[in-house]
Amino acid sequence: MTAVPHPHTHDHGHDHGHDHGHGSGAAPRSDLESLRRVWAIAGPLRGKIARGIAFRFLQSMALGLSFGVVVWVVAGLADGRPMTTDWAWRATGLMALSLLGQLLFAYLSTCEVWIASYQVAGALRLSMLDHLRRLPMGFHLARHKGDTVTVLTTDMQMVEVFFADALPRIAQALGLPLVVFAVLLLRDWVVALATASSVVAAVPVFLWSSRRLSLLGIRRQDAQAEAGGRMIEFVQGIAVIRAFNRVASGQEGFRAALEELRDISVRMVVTLIVPIVAIAVIVMLGAPLTIWVAGQRHFAGDLPAGTLITTLVLLFSMYAPLLALIGVMESTRIADASLTRMDRIMTAKPLPEPTAPHTPFGFAVRFDGVGFGYAPDKPVLRDVSFTVPERSMTAIVGPSGSGKSTILNLLPRFWDVTAGAVTIGGVDLRRLSGERLNALITVVFQDVTLFAGTIFDNIAFGRPGADLAAVEAAARAAQAHDFISALPDGYRTRVGEGGAALSGGERQRVSIARAILKDAPIVLLDEATAAIDPTNERAIQAALARLVADKTLIVVAHKLSTIRAADQILVLEDGAIVERGRHEALLEAGGLYARLWNHRTRAAGWRIAGEQPVGETA
Amino acid sequence: MSDAADLPAGAERRPDYLASFRLLLRHAAGARPRLAGSVLLATLSVLCELVPVWVVWRLTVAVIDGTATAALFAQQAALALAAILAGYAALTAALAQSHIVAFQVIHDLRMALARHLARLPLGWFAGRRSGAAKALVIDEPEKLELIVAHGIPEGTSAVATWLAVSAWLFAVDWRMALASVLLTPVSFALMARAMTRTGRFVADYQRAGERMNGSIVEYLAGMPAVKIFNRGGESFAGTADAVRAYTDVETAMGRAYIPLGSGFSALVLSNIVVILPAGLWLLAAGAIDLPTLLLFVILGATYSQPLLKLFGLFQQLAQVSIASMAVADALAAPPQPDSGRRVDLPNHDVVFEGVRFGYEDGPDVLHGIDATARTGTVTALVGPSGSGKSSLAALVPRFHDVRAGRVTLGGVDVRDIGLDQLMEEIAFVFQDSLLFSGTIAENIRFGDPGATDEAVRAAARAARADGFITALPDGYATRLGGRGGVALSGGERQRIAIARAILKDAPVVLLDEATAFADPDSEAAIQEAIGALARGKTLIVVAHRLNTIADADRILVLDRGRVAESGRQEELLARDGLYARLWADYTEARALALRPDQDAPDRKPRARNACMDAAE
Repeated sequence: MTAVPHPHTHDHGHDHGHDHGHGSGAAPRSDLESLRRVWAIAGPLRGKIARGIAFRFLQSMALGLSFGVVVWVVAGLADGRPMTTDWAWRATGLMALSLLGQLLFAYLSTCEVWIASYQVAGALRLSMLDHLRRLPMGFHLARHKGDTVTVLTTDMQMVEVFFADALPRIAQALGLPLVVFAVLLLRDWVVALATASSVVAAVPVFLWSSRRLSLLGIRRQDAQAEAGGRMIEFVQGIAVIRAFNRVASGQEGFRAALEELRDISVRMVVTLIVPIVAIAVIVMLGAPLTIWVAGQRHFAGDLPAGTLITTLVLLFSMYAPLLALIGVMESTRIADASLTRMDRIMTAKPLPEPTAPHTPFGFAVRFDGVGFGYAPDKPVLRDVSFTVPERSMTAIVGPSGSGKSTILNLLPRFWDVTAGAVTIGGVDLRRLSGERLNALITVVFQDVTLFAGTIFDNIAFGRPGADLAAVEAAARAAQAHDFISALPDGYRTRVGEGGAALSGGERQRVSIARAILKDAPIVLLDEATAAIDPTNERAIQAALARLVADKTLIVVAHKLSTIRAADQILVLEDGAIVERGRHEALLEAGGLYARLWNHRTRAAGWRIAGEQPVGETA
Repeated sequence: MSDAADLPAGAERRPDYLASFRLLLRHAAGARPRLAGSVLLATLSVLCELVPVWVVWRLTVAVIDGTATAALFAQQAALALAAILAGYAALTAALAQSHIVAFQVIHDLRMALARHLARLPLGWFAGRRSGAAKALVIDEPEKLELIVAHGIPEGTSAVATWLAVSAWLFAVDWRMALASVLLTPVSFALMARAMTRTGRFVADYQRAGERMNGSIVEYLAGMPAVKIFNRGGESFAGTADAVRAYTDVETAMGRAYIPLGSGFSALVLSNIVVILPAGLWLLAAGAIDLPTLLLFVILGATYSQPLLKLFGLFQQLAQVSIASMAVADALAAPPQPDSGRRVDLPNHDVVFEGVRFGYEDGPDVLHGIDATARTGTVTALVGPSGSGKSSLAALVPRFHDVRAGRVTLGGVDVRDIGLDQLMEEIAFVFQDSLLFSGTIAENIRFGDPGATDEAVRAAARAARADGFITALPDGYATRLGGRGGVALSGGERQRIAIARAILKDAPVVLLDEATAFADPDSEAAIQEAIGALARGKTLIVVAHRLNTIADADRILVLDRGRVAESGRQEELLARDGLYARLWADYTEARALALRPDQDAPDRKPRARNACMDAAE
C-alpha cells in the first residue's frame, strides 16, 4: 500500500516572520547534504542517537521476520504441503516472537532517541546562550532581537523533532526494503534487480526536486515575512488609519501582500506536487515491472513457483516504507533551515581578548585617528581624534546621523574601530581585558531595561555583594529612594516582566542608581531627547548630576545647559569633527555650532499660538 | 517552577476540537463544492492504490491453482501500471484542488479579520502586542491549511476506503476480517492512553516553555546592561536554569509517554502477526481455503495504513483548534458602535461633560472631567505622568469611549456623529509618527486621497518638509519602510506626519506630545510646521515642554484623573498650585547643568541646591 506523501509547503507553526535576510543567505541544498549537516550537530549524543536508530532498524527487522514467516508458509502451501497444527503452532510462535521483538525494539529506540533529542536541543540552546554573551554588543544591536529568540526556541524545537522523529523513521523506512531485497537477491538476482531499478531511477529526481523545493520554500518564507510585516504595520498604525478615516485604503497595503502570499503558496504547491508525485510514481512503477519480469521468467522456466509467490507477497513490503522517506525529507529540510539560522549566530566571532592585558594609567580617554563603519563601504566616523582629560566633561553635538552615538559605542567595545585607536589611560582598548574595561565604564542608555527580580536586585546589579545600606544610598543619590519606599514592598518590589509597573522616569532613576553603585571612573551618557513630565525630568537631571560628579564624562548632549557647562564641545558632521572648543568660542566662530545653537534656542523658546519666537525663558 | 506551580492546573482553555470546522462552515461555504470534488478524487486515488494489491493477490492465487499464464501476468502488470498512473493522477488533482481552495479560504479569512480589526474599538488593541495581531491574521489562519488541504480530503478518503474494504473483507470471511482489524483499535487505544498519561505534564510543559521563552527574551534585552555591568555569568545562570528546567519537563513527559506510546508505531504496522496465525488455524480446521488466506495476508496486512494519516492529523488538531478559536474570538469581538449619521455642526467646540473613563476592566483613570475647548482657541493639557492627559485627548476621536458623561463636538455627542464624519472633523498628530510602507507622496496623500501632486507639495512645504524631501534622490517617490526603504530621522518623519495632517485640513487638531521624539535639531522646523497646521483651528495640545503652551488660551492641569486647575499661565502661576510647581520643576530641569560650570559661578550654588532639595 502506498503511503500518500504530504506535499507540505511549509512547516506549520514556525514563525519566520523576522528573518528577512534569509533569502540571500541560504543556498538551496539537497536533502542528503542537509542530512549530513544536521547529523554533525548532535555532537557527543551521536552515540545515543545511533543506538536508537539501530534499535529502530532492528524493529524493522523484527517486522521482516513476520514477512519471512509468511513467505515460508505460503511457499510451503503452494507446494501442496498440507496444513498441520504443528506447523500452525510454529508459525504462531514465530509471529509472537516478531511482535515482541517489534515492541521491545520500538521501546528501546524511542527511549534512546527521544531523550537524546531533548538533550541535543537543550545543549544547543545552552551553548548558543553562552556564545551570545561573548559576542560583541554590535552583533546584538545589528540583529532583530526576535530573530535570536526564534532561533533559540522554535528552531531548536525543529531540530528536536528531527532527531526524535524523522531520523529514526529513515532507519525504519530502509530496514524492511533492505531485508526484502536481500531475500530476493538470494532467490533470483534478475527479479531483485527489477525491484530495485525503480528505486534507483527515483534517486536523481529526488535530489533534483529537493533542491528545487528548498529554493521555493525560501521564496515563500520571504512572502510570508512581507505579509507579516505589513500586518504589523497595519496594527501599529491602526490609530492613524482611524484618525485619517482610511480603513479601506489602510488595507490596500497588505491586501497586495496577502494576495502575493496566496499566489505564491498556490504556485508552490502546484510546483511541489508534481515532483513529489513523480518520485512516488517512479518508485511504484517497480511493482508492475517486477510482476511482469517475474511472470515472464517463471513461464520461461527460469523462476520456480515458490520464488514467484515469494516475490509477489513481498512486493509491497519493499515499496510502501520507501515512500515514507519523502515525508522524512521534508523534516530534514525544515531542520536544515533552522540550522542555517543557528549558524548565523554560532559563526559570529567573539571580540578577541588580549593574551597579555595591559593596565591603564589613569582614566583619560583618547581617540586617535579613529575610523569606523558598520559596513565597509559606508564610513560612519572618519579620522576622529580628541582627548578627554581625566574628570573633565566632553559634550558631543551635531545633526542626527553625524555619528555621535557611534563614538559612545566604540568605548565599551560594542564594536571595534576599523582604523586608528581608542585608548584609556594610554592603553589601547584592545589591550585591556574585558573585565577591566567593563569596570572602567558606565553607560547610561536612553532606553532602560530592568530585569525580572526585585528593585534591590536591579540596583545591586551594579556591584555584586552590595548590602541594603549601599543600595539605599545609591537610590537616594539617584532621587529614587522616596518612590521606592512608597511602594508596598519597598526595595523588595518585583519589577521587570510581570512585575510592578514603574513609570519611564522611575525606571530611569533605578537604572541611574545602579550606575551610581557601580561607581566606574568613566561615564558615557546619551542624553534623552524624549520629553517626560517636568517633575520626573528634574529628578533625573539631579540624579545624573550625582552620577557624573568627579567622573570622566562624555555626553551626547541635547540640553543647552549641559552643552554650555562642557569643558570641551565636539561638533560632529558626517562622521568628522568640524569644530571643537568651549561654548563661547564656538558661538563666536559662527560656524555649524552657532547655527545649531540658534536653532535650539529658538526651539526652546517656542510657543504654540505665540506671535513670534520668544527667547529662552530660563 | 515553584512560583508557577500554584497556578490552577488546566487554567488554559481546553481546545474545542470542532472549532476549525465551525469556522470553515461560517466562512468558507463557497468552497464546499470544490472541496467535495477534492474528496472524491482523493477517494478514487486510494481505491486505485488498492488495485495493484488486488492484482498481486489474484496472480498468487492463479499460480497456486495452476491457472496462471504469461499473458495473464502481462495483462495484470498492465492493469497495475494503469491503476498506479490513474491513482497518482487523481491524487495530484485532489491535492492541487484542495490546496487552491485552502489558500483561498485562508486568504478570505485573513481579509475578513483585517477588515474586522479595523472596526474594533482601539481598546481591543491596547492589551495586545502588534506581534500577536500579526500572528492572529497571518499565522493562525495558516494552520487551517492542514484541515482544508489535507485533513478533509485525505482523512475522508482514508476513512471511506477503510470502511469499504473492511466491509468487503467482512463479507469474505468475518473471522479473518476481525483478525485484520484487531490491532488497529488496540494501537489507537494505546496511543490515547499514552497521551492521557502525558496530559498531566501539559500545564508544566507550557509553563516551562513560557518561562524559557521569557527568560531568553529578557536575557537578550538586558544584554547591553549585562555587558556594561560585566554580570554575564549571573544572568546566564538564570536563563540556563530555565533551559534545563524545560529539558527536564520534556524528558519527564517523554518518559511518561514512551512505555505505551512507543508500542503504537510497532502495532499499527503489524497486523500480519495476527492475520497469519489466525488464518493458519482456520485453514487447518478447514474453515477457509488458501485463496482466502492469501487475500487477507496480502490485502489485510496493509489496507489500514492510510488511517495513520488520520492519526497525524489528530496529533495536530489541538493546535489547529486553538488557532481557530483565537480567530473565531477575534471575529466575534463586537465592532465599535457607529451611528453612521452625518450631522450639521454649528461650530467646533469640544466639550467634556462629567467624563469618566478607564481602560478595559481597569479602574477609572478619569474621574469626572468638565472642560471646554472653544473653536479657534488653543487648549493645553498638562500634568504629571499618569494624570490622564493623553487618555482625555483620545476620547475626542473616539479611540476609546467614555464610561460616563459625554464628549461633544459642536454640541453633538461624538457617539452620535458617524465615525466617517467624526474622523473628517479631526486631525490627530501622534507622539510617535507612524509612516507606512510606500512612497513619501503616498504617505502624505493619506490625509486626502484625492489631493493633487501640487496640493501634496504645498502641504509638505507648509510642514517644512519639502526641503529634505526634494534633497532625496527620488524626491516624493522615495520609498519608506520595508526592505530597501529609506530611513528618515525622527524629526523628518514627524514633519511628514504633520504634512499629512495639514493636507487633511480638519477643523479640530489634536497634538499628543507631537515633538516628544523629534531630534532637537529638527525641533524648530517641526514647531513651525505645527504653527501652520494649527492656524484657525480648535487646537488641543498634550505637552510636557511647558514653555510651548505658555501662551495657550486655556491650560487644563490634570492630576490623577481630575482637573486640578485651569486658566491662563499667568493666573495659574499666581495661584501657586500644581502648575506653579510643574513650572518650577520644568525651568529647574532645563537650567540644571550636569555638573557645575566653572566659568559661570552663578550657576553653581543653584545646581547644588537642586541636588540637595531633591535628595531630602
